[in-house]
Amino acid sequence: MLLHIGAFQLDVNSQGNTPWHGLAPRTRVLFALLFVFATALTPNERWGTWLIYAVGLMGLIILSRAALSVLLKRVAVESSFISVVLLGTLFRGGGTVLWQWGWLQITSVGLAVLGSVTTKALLCLLMLNLLVLTTSIPALLHALAELKMPSLLVAILASMYRYIGVLIEEFATMRRAAASRNLLSTARGKRLVTGNMIGSLFIRTYERGERVHHAMLSRGYTGLPPTIECPQGRLQDRWAIVTWVILLLLGQVVYFL
Amino acid sequence: MSNFAGSIFRGSLHEMLFPQLALHIPDGFLSLPVSLVTWGIAIALIATALDRVKGERQDQTVPLMGVCAAFIFAAQMINFPIPGGTSGHLLGGTLAGVLLGPWAGTLVMTVVFIVQAALFQDGGLTVLGANVFNMGLIGTFGGYYLYKVLRSSLGFNSWRGMSFGVTIASWTSVVIASVATAIQLALSGTVPLAVALTAMLGWHILIGIGEAIITLMATSYVWKVRPDLLYDPPQRSPLPRSLVQR
Repeated sequence: MLLHIGAFQLDVNSQGNTPWHGLAPRTRVLFALLFVFATALTPNERWGTWLIYAVGLMGLIILSRAALSVLLKRVAVESSFISVVLLGTLFRGGGTVLWQWGWLQITSVGLAVLGSVTTKALLCLLMLNLLVLTTSIPALLHALAELKMPSLLVAILASMYRYIGVLIEEFATMRRAAASRNLLSTARGKRLVTGNMIGSLFIRTYERGERVHHAMLSRGYTGLPPTIECPQGRLQDRWAIVTWVILLLLGQVVYFL
Repeated sequence: MSNFAGSIFRGSLHEMLFPQLALHIPDGFLSLPVSLVTWGIAIALIATALDRVKGERQDQTVPLMGVCAAFIFAAQMINFPIPGGTSGHLLGGTLAGVLLGPWAGTLVMTVVFIVQAALFQDGGLTVLGANVFNMGLIGTFGGYYLYKVLRSSLGFNSWRGMSFGVTIASWTSVVIASVATAIQLALSGTVPLAVALTAMLGWHILIGIGEAIITLMATSYVWKVRPDLLYDPPQRSPLPRSLVQR
């Protein structure tokens, strides 16, 4: 699922000069959270709601001028989940049977679930990818802290983000060393070497953690992550949030009309 | 950092087709009640884990948990062949529990899920609670205590007890977590229970074997080289017996 990690720079479009980029990162994170929760938690078969949400999302994507090719490519890689719902659709009873072949049958209920779940998942993926594409990771972490995520947790997240690349490099080095000694030629050898590599990397990781800790202490670290001051929301951010919430509520109301 | 991906994991066709059977549920798959309940449990779990780890590790918390989360993240990206012809990757719940203890292990796994969901869209945000419940609570917490019970009953300081505990706990935790995932999918009305259980169990009984082998190998390496780093280090005489006797 992490195939696109190859392009580790996630925020391809973080330097933009559009209304979307003009919003504070905190507002953008709030946009995405509201949208994802509203979309994903709407019960199945409310097509009108998702139509409105899709229009709103399209507006955001156009407004942000995000690289459409990158956005769609990432969503395509992440969309392999459809196979699971398809499985559930093929073997489901209930409703009228539309097509049957031995054990397999497609019913109206199955199709409705397939359509609903796929729509919801795709909309959420598009929104989150838009956020990550246009917002740098430090800004995202900062925004999470401003949104009252515990500062200890944010500090751990930031520290993890800093070392992912380092550890992956280290793994690659170990693997290269094993491959150059021809130890990865059999399946058994691969398992043995991978297991030992993981054990060995844990020891290195732990020692690195202690080293980092000492370095932090030497700079006067007291165990308390730095507090993040929270700037007052500007007028445009507030207006944007209000508009967005009205749109999301409108989508819910449409169902009852 | 741009080309490390290719050297580490070759995404096999299987990985492309079946990543979702690998327990990371995407957004939109779970209904409102299931999401709410699992989120509630997950928030309580994260809060307790943060508190416990802070008490246990003091000011080491941030650097140590950070690098260990990066370690699990990196370890999850490595594909290895599973006996039987497919390939899989580590989930690492039981491994984290065995190496770091139940609370720190759960915290590290949770941090990994948050990063995967928020930055890589590997598993959704609304279902993050369910993912933490399945792999953090059942996989790590459950896996750790199962391992501890087995190890204590078979000999706490012997490699026999350790290896049995690790192997059985890591296999079981993956299988039970997959059952929990199947039940959540069925409760939400996304996939019928029978189908979800068959698909999940059938796949994870195999995945669990790979998980057990790799977890066993990794812990055996740590046991041999730096047993003091294990959360429950074995009590041994400080020098090998041959040296003591001389």
